[in-house]
Amino acid sequence: MTYKQSRRIFLQKTALLTGGLFLGSHFPDIKALANVPADVSSNVKLGVIGTGSRGQYLMTHINLIPGIEIVAVCDNYQPNLDIGVEMTAGKAEAYTDYRQLIEKKNIDGVIIATPLHLHAVMSIDSLKAGLHVFCEKAMAKTPGECLAMYNAQMETGKILLIGHQRMFNPRYLKAFEMINRGQLGDITQIRAYWHRNNDWRRTVPEPGLERTINWRLYWDYSEGLMTELGSHQIQVANFIKKDFPRKVMGTGSINYWHDGREVFDNVNMVYEYPDGSSLIYDSMISNAHYGYEEQIMGPKGTMELEVGRMYSENPPPAPGILQLLNNIEHKIFDPLPLGGKSWIPETAVKEKGEYIYEVDLEDDGTALEMEGFAQMIRENRHSDILLREAYYAAIAALLGNEAIRKGEMITFPEEYIL
Amino acid sequence: MKDLVIKGKWLRRELVILAVLFLAAIITNVIGIVKHDTRWIEMLSQLHVVLILTLILYVLLWLVRLIIYAIMLPFRKKK
Repeated sequence: MTYKQSRRIFLQKTALLTGGLFLGSHFPDIKALANVPADVSSNVKLGVIGTGSRGQYLMTHINLIPGIEIVAVCDNYQPNLDIGVEMTAGKAEAYTDYRQLIEKKNIDGVIIATPLHLHAVMSIDSLKAGLHVFCEKAMAKTPGECLAMYNAQMETGKILLIGHQRMFNPRYLKAFEMINRGQLGDITQIRAYWHRNNDWRRTVPEPGLERTINWRLYWDYSEGLMTELGSHQIQVANFIKKDFPRKVMGTGSINYWHDGREVFDNVNMVYEYPDGSSLIYDSMISNAHYGYEEQIMGPKGTMELEVGRMYSENPPPAPGILQLLNNIEHKIFDPLPLGGKSWIPETAVKEKGEYIYEVDLEDDGTALEMEGFAQMIRENRHSDILLREAYYAAIAALLGNEAIRKGEMITFPEEYIL
Repeated sequence: MKDLVIKGKWLRRELVILAVLFLAAIITNVIGIVKHDTRWIEMLSQLHVVLILTLILYVLLWLVRLIIYAIMLPFRKKK
């Protein structure tokens, strides 16, 4: 499916969704994006700060979208900078210092795809230089930095969008609306996990570049699995709960990849929301069998958002003829019980469920998010809802690590509640 | 190679058997709907199940007939 097709489907489906109460009243930003076709008559000019793997991924999507032009790229690692320039067919100006890039006069905004510890300083400097900012998730490395970024946006009035692409994924939007309509009942528990089976390392050409390239593995630059993976899923849980967790406890360790890294290779968390419901989260990189998923559970049903399926607690009965044939089969082939069944195994229900969203989009929301950012720039319209989502997801992820380090339950600090 | 001759009488007999089995499958569907209190639209929506059941019954009947034929073979008079 091409980007044009994805966008057309997004517009059609999301326009339908926004007719509903939920997105219409709670999500005006996405409503606007869905209902207003992109005005591509004027190019939005962007600079990309950080042209490593994530920056390149974003640039690949941007290159498919009409009306966005990358006019400058910046990276302090020359091979990545060269790739960045190459991806713009040599048109972009190259910088090794982001402070020079943001002084450039002819850019509307920047995309920041650098290691976590640089998000806050780069975003704040860019906002203060009068630029709109798209910054990759997680928002920042400490709660204080997250708050400083939020305040910088408030002071400057410029757009600050954090890269939680699921907010632009039609499958998720459809699921959010269904949940808000009460199709699962009150959400009592969310389980989410992200499992991989790899060392999370990149190839390092010389030992001196280890910490530069594998920054995710060291506390000075990264908060590990909680911010790199967990913040996405915590954000989804928060959006569904329309709230953020007030308490968190958990464990984490390095139990497999004993290779000199500092960050945990497994984390296991329990978050508690004010209504007593919980988010149970875990992430590991030594087994990929279960992959990643967000399981949303209520008394009426369950949703699995990554596979896009919904399972009712009371599914409609199978057709009569199938039930009849099934009964006959059981009578013939099942062993005769002695004294009747006194125990039925409570294993998982084997139900195929229904698709939440029937269209299988290749885009995970990233291209639509990039287009959304450009459209927000054209309209000079910041989304406080999206920024708050990112803010609370980042702080919840960071508090998770704090709970692990301290070995105690952490309460969401009052000073960080907006 | 020997020609295979399908006689009209044989064909009629097989079609009658198929029709009877199809009817039996439809009755099974009706029983299923009544017994499990499901919707009558299943008379149409489950037609594919009825057809598959008809074919399964037909194949089973063929096997039964084949077994009977094999058992009876030693007792048949040679022409």
